[in-house]
Amino acid sequence: MNLEVFKQISDTNRWGLLLPEIYLVGLALILLVFEMLFRRQDLLLIVRVAIWGQVLLLGLMVLQYLEGFPTGSVTAFSGLLTQTPATEVMRLFFVAGSILVSFLATTYLRRQNLPRTEFFAITMLITVAMMVLVQSSQFVLFFVALETVTIGFYVLVAYCRQSPFSLEAGLKFLILGALSSAILLFGIVFLYGVAGNPALPGHVADSMNFADLASFIAANPTNPLVLIGTCLVLAGVAFKVGAVPFQIWIPDVYQGAPTPVTAFLAVSSKAAGVFVLLTLVRGPFASLHSFLVPLLSTVAVLTILFGNLTALPQRNVKRLMGLSGIAHAGYLLVGVVASMTVDWAVYAVVFYLITYLLASFGVFGVMIQMAGDDDSDQEVDHYEDLGQRHPFLAGVLTVGLGSLAGIPPLGGFIGKLLIFIAAFQAGLYGLLAASIIGVVISIYYYFGWIREAVFRVWRSPEGSPAQEGASTFTVSTVEIVTLGGLSALTIGIGIFPSLVDCLMRL
Amino acid sequence: MDVLFIIFAVLTVVPALLMVVSRNPVNGAMFMIISFVGMAALFVLLEAFLLAILQVLVYAGAIMVLFLFIIMLLDMDEVEKIKPGTVTSIASGISLALIIVGVAVLLGSDGLAGQSVAHLAAAPDFPSADNPMGLALSAKAYGFGLFTKYMLPFQLTGVLLLVSMIGVIIISKKRETSQGQEQS
Repeated sequence: MNLEVFKQISDTNRWGLLLPEIYLVGLALILLVFEMLFRRQDLLLIVRVAIWGQVLLLGLMVLQYLEGFPTGSVTAFSGLLTQTPATEVMRLFFVAGSILVSFLATTYLRRQNLPRTEFFAITMLITVAMMVLVQSSQFVLFFVALETVTIGFYVLVAYCRQSPFSLEAGLKFLILGALSSAILLFGIVFLYGVAGNPALPGHVADSMNFADLASFIAANPTNPLVLIGTCLVLAGVAFKVGAVPFQIWIPDVYQGAPTPVTAFLAVSSKAAGVFVLLTLVRGPFASLHSFLVPLLSTVAVLTILFGNLTALPQRNVKRLMGLSGIAHAGYLLVGVVASMTVDWAVYAVVFYLITYLLASFGVFGVMIQMAGDDDSDQEVDHYEDLGQRHPFLAGVLTVGLGSLAGIPPLGGFIGKLLIFIAAFQAGLYGLLAASIIGVVISIYYYFGWIREAVFRVWRSPEGSPAQEGASTFTVSTVEIVTLGGLSALTIGIGIFPSLVDCLMRL
Repeated sequence: MDVLFIIFAVLTVVPALLMVVSRNPVNGAMFMIISFVGMAALFVLLEAFLLAILQVLVYAGAIMVLFLFIIMLLDMDEVEKIKPGTVTSIASGISLALIIVGVAVLLGSDGLAGQSVAHLAAAPDFPSADNPMGLALSAKAYGFGLFTKYMLPFQLTGVLLLVSMIGVIIISKKRETSQGQEQS
């Protein structure tokens, strides 16, 4: 055995590139140790350490990027890991998402009286796995990271054990998630087997590696095993994103999961899935262009129409967010398809994800405040007269929903506009039409919710059920600052889209 | 070699089929163990000794014991009485036919043709300079791979295990309604 080869391989293990991830794992472990050492009364300390520790990390990362944003791509760990400017943005995105989830969770966990430390620890570890996932450029690392994310979510979805909804959601997610992982793994094995076959032209040594796989697929674009493997891998990832026909799990899981977890699933998990799809479609599968564009376009159109049409009659707000989230996954898929022809569509997708993060967390923040004892039962009717009861929350809700619907001058409008321009440049006119129809439908149900919260001045004769809970509002200053900040950023990005542009100066 | 291969292949496939069709879950689990052992023997024929040992230790040993435990804890007698519906039977029949046709088509295509397998047997890609992980036969090769090239996924697996450990504790622990936490 040639030890020199192994020495060269270990020299490429540059752990310094993964400092933020290592920091987060360390923070999670420290929290678990604190939980052991301290008494129950000191547990507020854990909340503070968890949130401020992550804010510190975000600050350090931003400071480092202010000195000079990375421009080229770096490959390390003998080809397992590739960092590009886009993955750097996604790492910031996931850390921000993790902070917001932890923040929403403090309110929720206090109300439901659930253990906190473990929630924060799992959230951070999932975030680490997502950060590694978007940077991975080899199927072994890819799969391990994806499984870490999925297993973490199994736990978080079933976190509220007393609630039968949460348990049911956890079980459904576990079974369907395991199925999708199996499909994905099956696809990976097909690709691995066929790309390492010495009888085929252009076979490669490391057929798990994305770059090697890309060169193999370019040499054999019509091999049936390649096509089957590609379809299975994309199906596995589409399940995580929630694209039709792999969307069955979304409404139940979104409704049953604790609201912060729903937000985490809706934003960070979906973002990771979409970004992975981008990497795959532009990396190893790039030469299957003529096969993938019709396939993914069909999926995108179905996803947009299904999400919007099923969200129309929905009265439960968590299901509504889930179903409309399917529609957002559809718009993002349009961006993914466009990115196969137009290079800058990647940044349109990332921009869309950022506006989606800001708007969604605003809405979920309000939902957490509004939730009663039963977390899974939140109807649109509960928001009646929110504008009079708590004008600030109503404002945050309006900005968030308006941005999700894509109303100018909010951030969501610019995000949708960029994706539509990319689709136009890529010549995907059918997709463009479907997306615009979808947006028009979505305005109806988003504004139905806003109308309920803000504009509804008359009251139904039998009296409203929300009246009893009306007096229990206490929104702390920190919450006001955070939610206000999210809304301000949503409006700010809408008016000055260059705010994000300077982040992604590439 | 061919005789051995046929014996062990039959030992793998037939119990696998019986496992799917047997109505009693305990019998099913037993057939699965036989199938795993047959597969381990096939690995031995391929000279992948470490894989064979892992197959027996991990799958036929640990995982199947866990399966049996759960089956016996859950008292699955009721399951035997449930007969599959007509639609289910037809759907599974169609799926089976599709899978058989699919495999047959694949075997006929250039992807898995016998010639390429023969080529592989004639020139096995043993660990070499550009491909140290090519066909890792010995435990030593696995070890080197795990601690050099696959160090990062290996570490990440540690995170995965940590997450699942915390998760199991959180979900299975019976919680007394903790008053102390509410005040904090």
